[in-house]
Amino acid sequence: MESIIQVNNLVKKYGRLTAVDSISFNVQRGEIFGLLGENGAGKSTTLEMIEGLRRPTSGSISILGHNPTSELNMIKEKIGVQLQSSAYYEHLTLAEILDLFGGFYPKHLKSGELLAMVKLEAKAKSFVGKLSGGQKQRFSIVASLVNDPEVVFLDEPTTGLDPIARRNLWGLITTIRNQGKTVILTTHYMEEAEILCDRIAIMEKGKIVAMDQTHRLIASSKHPFKINFLVGKINKEIFQNLAELGKIKSILGKSDHFEMRLSNQDNLNKSLKLLQDLNPDSFTVSRASLEDLFIELTGKSITQEENA
Amino acid sequence: MFPIMFTVIFGFFFSGESSGSGTVVLKNYSQTEVSKLFQKSLNESKVFKIDEKTSALEARDLLKKGKISGIVEIPQKFGDLAPGSPKKIKVTLDPANLQSNAMLLGFLNQFITSLNFKVNNVQPVFGVQQEKTNSSDLNYFDFVLVGLIGMALMNSSIQGVSIAMSRYRENKILKRITTTPLKPATFIIAEVLSRLLINIVQISIILLIGVYGFHAHIYGNVFLIYVFGILGAILFQSIGFTIAAVSKTTSAAEGMATAVAIPMMFLAGVFFPIDQLPSWLESIVKFLPLAPLLRMIRGIALESASPFLDPINIVIVLAWIVVMLIISSYKFRLSDE
Repeated sequence: MESIIQVNNLVKKYGRLTAVDSISFNVQRGEIFGLLGENGAGKSTTLEMIEGLRRPTSGSISILGHNPTSELNMIKEKIGVQLQSSAYYEHLTLAEILDLFGGFYPKHLKSGELLAMVKLEAKAKSFVGKLSGGQKQRFSIVASLVNDPEVVFLDEPTTGLDPIARRNLWGLITTIRNQGKTVILTTHYMEEAEILCDRIAIMEKGKIVAMDQTHRLIASSKHPFKINFLVGKINKEIFQNLAELGKIKSILGKSDHFEMRLSNQDNLNKSLKLLQDLNPDSFTVSRASLEDLFIELTGKSITQEENA
Repeated sequence: MFPIMFTVIFGFFFSGESSGSGTVVLKNYSQTEVSKLFQKSLNESKVFKIDEKTSALEARDLLKKGKISGIVEIPQKFGDLAPGSPKKIKVTLDPANLQSNAMLLGFLNQFITSLNFKVNNVQPVFGVQQEKTNSSDLNYFDFVLVGLIGMALMNSSIQGVSIAMSRYRENKILKRITTTPLKPATFIIAEVLSRLLINIVQISIILLIGVYGFHAHIYGNVFLIYVFGILGAILFQSIGFTIAAVSKTTSAAEGMATAVAIPMMFLAGVFFPIDQLPSWLESIVKFLPLAPLLRMIRGIALESASPFLDPINIVIVLAWIVVMLIISSYKFRLSDE
């Protein structure tokens, strides 16, 4: 596959703070690439350096064969940028905003076409302030498509949305990819990255701590198997035997709900036999999730709080 | 919006269109030629609104309440030269209303004096020739009208630009624009030009309301009023950009813009001539951006004076523009970096 963005040893420092600490990655044409990490991990800063909005302290970036520091205008015509929690003119209608922004490019799509793509054609004459959270976000994404870009940058596109609106956006983002565009997005939702992204780079304190195709990343977990079970009575002997096969812990300190992480199929089979003797009220066997891997890698759970 | 409201309000108060000094109740009990002449000339003087219907008793009550300025009573047979007929017009005034009292008494004295001359067949020997500093007929409304143009330009530009720009920045509209190929300079020029267009409309509306609504007197070259109005608008916009550049939030910009514009509105001569200020204060405020601008536009509008004869005002305005442009071009950025 053709690599459309190359980032090499990229560093961004603000005084003593190193926001982005020597990261390198490539993005392939036509994929959805996710930068995953907590608030403040350096995702947005990385994105904005590629977009040419911030100057790297050191390192090199190449996007569509151009350098953002010297050939920014060539790049700007071919990329679409959705900023984190960005707003638009309050006194212009959706169609007017799209026409205005379209006018900034040599070639652009018609506002009606764009609004139809996100099912907002009925709102063409509304103001942004009158839209729901999900509609606003859909508009914000489609506004980044006015110039029919080759690469689309989405900075936390689903933050603050309810689950239904988020799923709608996932559909939209997939549609954009299916049009042949390359999508780079940041998120702090594990589930979102797992479902949406072809490849993921996990960022932590300005560094990339893991990067691969999503399913391979998850498979790289040291404990790819997981059992969840609920038991009324605890049999100490069986618990001791289980503990030898994998990591067992109670979920959030509950006395009857446990999670067990296992490293291989063999141990999984043995554990399931032992569990039958325990006669649990309920149990599920599953694969480790991206979140499990994230906790494994960073030693903590990601903050779900909204970006303030 | 406010300057237009102000224009209308000031127009009603000061344009001299309404009978500015209030209402006088006139009771003419006499049927003589003289009394009719008096009645006629008081009516025609247009200094007062004349009310002849209210009864004398009612009028006294209204006078006490301050609803009317005075009562003039012409006794029966006044003006009849026969001996024993009354020789005096009775005036009742509200002592609190000094200005209209002086006007009414002045009018009455003048009338009586000329009447006396006529009766005695005497031509007045001495007189007063009245001359105004200005050959033209100007009043306070004309002064304020130009002030209001300055105020409109100042408010819409300083507050308009600084608040709009800091809101655009807060909403990331400015940052969003930097992601497009649009050049920042193009964006700024478009913003400035569109506002100047609005300024031209503003000046036009205020002049139209002032001149056609309230008979303001504009003697000078209207084109020059626009030219210097635009010059002022450019100055105020550069102040607006400077405020947007140095304030971090929209509310900070709002506060700063108000702190700049409101004192300037009162100190730089929108409503009062600044030479009425203590001289030490005047020597400071005459350099405020609005002051030289108003001096020039007033000169053009009211005295047909050329602002180029004494270019110090132009120099002050240009100096402000240069200073503000230097600060804002260093400080004002569309993006974070």
